[in-house]
Amino acid sequence: MKKILIVDDDPNIVDYLVTLFEDNGYATCSAGDVQEGLAAAKKEQPDLITLDLEMPGEWGPRFYRKMSEDKGLKNIPVIVITGFSESEHAVGKAVASLTKPFDREELLSIVKESLA
Amino acid sequence: MAIEILLIDKDKGHAEALGVYLERQQFEVYKAGSPDDVPMLFDNLSVEIVLADPGLPDTDTVHLLKQIKKSHPGVQLIIMSADEQLDQAMDLLKQDVVHYLRKPVKSAALDLAVKQARTWIAMNKKVARYEKKFKDLRNAQNLYQQLFDEVPCYISVQDREFRLTATNRMFKRDFGDEIGSYCYEVYKHRGSPCRNCPVAATFEDGLPHPTEEIVTSKSGKQYNVLTWTAPIRNSLGQVTQVMEMSTNITRLRQLQDHLTSLGLMIGSMSHGGKGMLTALDGGVYQLETGLARNDEQRISKAFGQVKQMTGRIRNMVLEILYYAKSRELSYEPVDISKMVEKVLNNAKAIADKNGINLEASIANDLGAIEVDPNWMQAALVNFMENAVDACTYDRSKEDHTVKFDVFDPGGDRICFVIQDNGMGMDQETREKMFTLFFTSKGSQGTGLGLFIANRVIHQHGGTIKVESELQKGTRFKISLPRQKPEQPLRTDKPEKWANGLLDDSGKGST
Repeated sequence: MKKILIVDDDPNIVDYLVTLFEDNGYATCSAGDVQEGLAAAKKEQPDLITLDLEMPGEWGPRFYRKMSEDKGLKNIPVIVITGFSESEHAVGKAVASLTKPFDREELLSIVKESLA
Repeated sequence: MAIEILLIDKDKGHAEALGVYLERQQFEVYKAGSPDDVPMLFDNLSVEIVLADPGLPDTDTVHLLKQIKKSHPGVQLIIMSADEQLDQAMDLLKQDVVHYLRKPVKSAALDLAVKQARTWIAMNKKVARYEKKFKDLRNAQNLYQQLFDEVPCYISVQDREFRLTATNRMFKRDFGDEIGSYCYEVYKHRGSPCRNCPVAATFEDGLPHPTEEIVTSKSGKQYNVLTWTAPIRNSLGQVTQVMEMSTNITRLRQLQDHLTSLGLMIGSMSHGGKGMLTALDGGVYQLETGLARNDEQRISKAFGQVKQMTGRIRNMVLEILYYAKSRELSYEPVDISKMVEKVLNNAKAIADKNGINLEASIANDLGAIEVDPNWMQAALVNFMENAVDACTYDRSKEDHTVKFDVFDPGGDRICFVIQDNGMGMDQETREKMFTLFFTSKGSQGTGLGLFIANRVIHQHGGTIKVESELQKGTRFKISLPRQKPEQPLRTDKPEKWANGLLDDSGKGST
């Protein structure tokens, strides 16, 4: 079973994504900020990460940079899910950028594609 | 035009001779044999000199002459009289007469008398002309003074040392009658001239200079003013003084600030709103799938989330309305226990959902308070929500509790204490928490909640004390007067709201 790490500071959205992914046959783990996210990524070795950009403390792009510096993590695909409308450039190497509120089917198809 | 002379003499022969003599000198001469003939003549003529024999001891002529002098003060009287009556004539007529002649009148004496009368006439006319000019000038001056005073600007005239030499009414109203003191003292409450002074620049080059300044009135109010200067020159063309005209554009600036902050708000709202809509999507998804699977637990959880999110979106919309529209509070007496119960019900739903304990200690017999129940409740719920959030975000502890105490401390006031053992605030957050659009909650905060809650409390004449320590928690103590304040500390007119952005003296939000 493929595992997805959800990094978002809003527990309601984390809850939503967890349910959505688990309903569709993925395992999940989650983190509420950048530090927690990095620790979880190392520990859980997820196959894919969804990343919010705006969080208390350090923001999403910093998570991506630190993750890219780690050999064990840098090849994990990242999907940015954020409230910013022009976020394509914030994390250049993300496989996709979705704007909240996102389209459920679109997200699932991107996830499916990325994990194929 | 010939000068008209009226000749009054009973002695026809004498009158005839004088008339001929005067007519030869280009005077227009009218003759009257008795005082009775005179009034008619006078009404139709523009006589300037009256040459008369009073014909004493009969005094009719004397009365007539006095009357003429009274109604036509410009008319010059020359009296001719028999030697023995001259003293009496002088006694009766005194200074009303320009010259006294002894009868029979000799031509040299008559010439002199007429010349003197004409000199007087010329002088009188001159004086009258000057009087008229002077009056016109005074009217003009009054008009300019009136214009100066009524212009809806602050006008001051300053010398080279920036001392005020004249100020208009509006200036006096807002900055005091401060002739002789220095511009920089009066406008800026400072001890030395300002940098980049437009008045100094105008003294330098004789040209008008515009600037925008912030000045402080005698009552301590700050105004934004748009200032223009103009040189005042003497007859040699040198600039001796400078006039400074300042238009008060404070309202304009405030409106601009309000619009700017509305723009900022829409940006901030749309971001916060997106997070809420996503969470609402999540709730709806779980409700859908829960119903499809007949999963009771999922349905009830999802329903809780949908409820919470619609509540938040509702609050956000209310906050926008509160901010965007100037509205008066509608006070009514409210039973404190009932209001507190409603606040607690709201807070309990949020606390339960997030697994936070809620402890309430509400004193008995709290009585009534005069508030706008809608806004006061919303403000208190906002403080409770913030406390719950502070616990939810705190990952350093397992157990979290929000305490809500309401009691009567005496002094006709009511105290609300909201205490949490959540994440606490650092100094920066503590200083900024009431600031518009400040949020420590990332995408979930709009930066409006505490800003508005703070305003609502202050509008009700209340005070807020905050104690907070990182990792330990936060304690808000809100004290409200039981009665509606006579003068609310703040009114929620748009321009006042905008000030919240400008000063950092402690207002503002979630």
